[in-house]
Amino acid sequence: MAQEKNMAVPQLLSNVELVKQGAEARVYRTEFLGKPTIVKERFPKRYRHPVLDQKLTHRRTVQEVRSILRCRRAGISAPVVYFVDYMSHCIFLEEVVGSLTVCDHIASTQQSESCQDQELEWLAQRVGQILAKMHDEDVIHGDLTTSNMLLRRGPEDPESNLVLIDFGLSYISALPEDKGVDLYVLEKAFLSTHPNTEALFEKLLKSYTASSKKSSAVIKKLDEVRLRGRKRSMVG
Amino acid sequence: MTVVIGFEGSANKIGIGIIRDGEVLSNPRRTYITPPGQGFMPSDTARHHRAVILTVLKEALEQAGLKPADIDCVAYTKGPGMGAPLVTVALVARTVSQLWGKPLLGVNHCIGHIEMGRLITKANNPTVLYVSGGNTQVIAYSERRYRIFGETIDIAVGNCLDRFARVIKISNDPSPGYNIEQMAKKGSQYVELPYTVKGMDVSFSGILSYIEEAAHKMLSSGQCTAEDLCFSLQETVFSMLVEITERAMAHCGSQEVLIVGGVGCNLRLQEMMGVMCKERGAKLFATDERFCIDNGAMIAQAGWEMFRSGQVTELEDSWITQRYRTDEVQVTWRD
Amino acid sequence: MHLTQELELFPDHRVTQMLFKEVKNAAGLRQSAVEGKINGALINPTMLVNPFQVLVAANKAVHLQKSGKMKTRSLYSEIIFNLSPNNNISEAFKRFGISDGDDSVMVVVVHNKDESELLADITAKVEGRQIPVEDVSSLSDSAKIKKLYKITPQEEKCGTLLDAVVCRMATKDVM
Repeated sequence: MAQEKNMAVPQLLSNVELVKQGAEARVYRTEFLGKPTIVKERFPKRYRHPVLDQKLTHRRTVQEVRSILRCRRAGISAPVVYFVDYMSHCIFLEEVVGSLTVCDHIASTQQSESCQDQELEWLAQRVGQILAKMHDEDVIHGDLTTSNMLLRRGPEDPESNLVLIDFGLSYISALPEDKGVDLYVLEKAFLSTHPNTEALFEKLLKSYTASSKKSSAVIKKLDEVRLRGRKRSMVG
Repeated sequence: MTVVIGFEGSANKIGIGIIRDGEVLSNPRRTYITPPGQGFMPSDTARHHRAVILTVLKEALEQAGLKPADIDCVAYTKGPGMGAPLVTVALVARTVSQLWGKPLLGVNHCIGHIEMGRLITKANNPTVLYVSGGNTQVIAYSERRYRIFGETIDIAVGNCLDRFARVIKISNDPSPGYNIEQMAKKGSQYVELPYTVKGMDVSFSGILSYIEEAAHKMLSSGQCTAEDLCFSLQETVFSMLVEITERAMAHCGSQEVLIVGGVGCNLRLQEMMGVMCKERGAKLFATDERFCIDNGAMIAQAGWEMFRSGQVTELEDSWITQRYRTDEVQVTWRD
Repeated sequence: MHLTQELELFPDHRVTQMLFKEVKNAAGLRQSAVEGKINGALINPTMLVNPFQVLVAANKAVHLQKSGKMKTRSLYSEIIFNLSPNNNISEAFKRFGISDGDDSVMVVVVHNKDESELLADITAKVEGRQIPVEDVSSLSDSAKIKKLYKITPQEEKCGTLLDAVVCRMATKDVM
């Protein structure tokens, strides 16, 4: 049975505002059914074998969508999914209006003159808590960076202020090893992007440890993975 | 005018090269090749190096038309690598430095690859993909360090390819990777294999254990040919490498990619990286097998940079180390 | 009174919602729908939180229709099916479609530019009082909705009920 390729989404995207072109996806902003919406389009990577590309792109789209719902069900903020086109690999998501990435927030806080330690410590604590919750749900984000966390400016319950995004590399796992690697990925991204924040990251880990029921095994694995880079035998 | 001789023998290649102010005067090399199905062991490799090193040294000087007095500095691989072979080579380097009365310099093997790549390709400030039997790293220069942005969290891609070659008994002559590449060209069926990217890092032990277990079944059932497996393995692991390189480039805002290390010789990898670069409007730089594969001149080149910026290794500090992170070195020769 | 939204993905398509309460002829309407005499989806409004919920279902239905990938036999049954958090078609009709004893109904029509004729057609068929679509929340049975969509208490802390409902509708194909 021949299936028509529905060009509606690509056609729409050719006329809307492109916000960002990442390595893997293009992000657009538009209004959809009356709501401010972000469209995340995973485009084909021509260097990959077409079968591999299709499988990966589809898998990442599906994983992203699944993880968002799983997180929300556990009370972790992630953008609401409005619509998914599995043919063009586009996800229509709630635009978290008036938000700032944690990355930008840390950078601007560090640059500002007023006393910022407390502010950043509060942030580190919140991030630790949210990640603990996520891992307790056995959701591995897979690409934790401070650019993948949004601070939603709002007066409501502080619980909903941190929003996690970009779940394309996410998967489900109960293994402490996978959670440890998840934190390791964040640590590397954190320290390389934000200079002199080792103490801050330690606070994040402390908060994680205190908030997660399964943290000790995870931290142990984190330590092992950290050493691996140092201890790896560098020959075949 | 500065002339540096470099000694390299951290794995199964032993090479000695001489560089004079950016010109490669000589770069002879020997490779220790084991029978199909076997990897190389440290003590056998050291034995191989010991047997040929003085011959290679003689060749290096003769081909460059130089005498020991013409040399300004003796550079050698301090690490990382295999213990016994590293010691063998360091011993000779220390000895000649004493005999000739020339200063000694211990060089990081990875930095050797990077500096050689920069010299040959003239890439300005590239994102470097360093891929070999022992290493898989995505590196970018920042504030006096070659920072590691992404790497393997278990084994190197070359190691993965080499061990796969052993499973299906591909010849190690001239190298397992080269033979996999040739076979892959004849493969056509894409077989799905595990693909693992975690953030900026990659993991190859999963795909290796999968293919080690499944290869014989797939081949004997006629599901695919060995060529198909080579093809599929390359497509998969190279895609992973291109992906993490691209992520690093997006993160750093870089418009240049330099591939170094033995696996960098692979034309399919270069082709795939080229496609990614083209789509981003970036430039790809790569070297050929003379410089991709471990060689002495790359150590000489890194040594040349270090020496000119005032570094020297005292005899008591001229030990070797199997583990030596790329980002441990102070890159004093760049701003 | 009624609410019309243009589908951005299908620019010549519009979705109009009309809400009625004190409806006397739910059974007759349902029969007409079964016979194909009503050009619209008849939805049980007690299961609706907000008009946006309907729009999401309608958009997906039109998209699948254009791709030849609908799971049900018609556009209007597809809209009803898309409201459901799971993939059981008959259950979706039972819960989200209207039943003979219902006293309220939300009518959803997908049409091109000129609406007045279509809408008047439908309004004429419904024996009930039309109220603004935005008032649908006054008819919502939150407890029933939360139960059917399996909304967790933690989830309500990170968003509205509408968020939770829409997210499930949009992701059910892969859960």
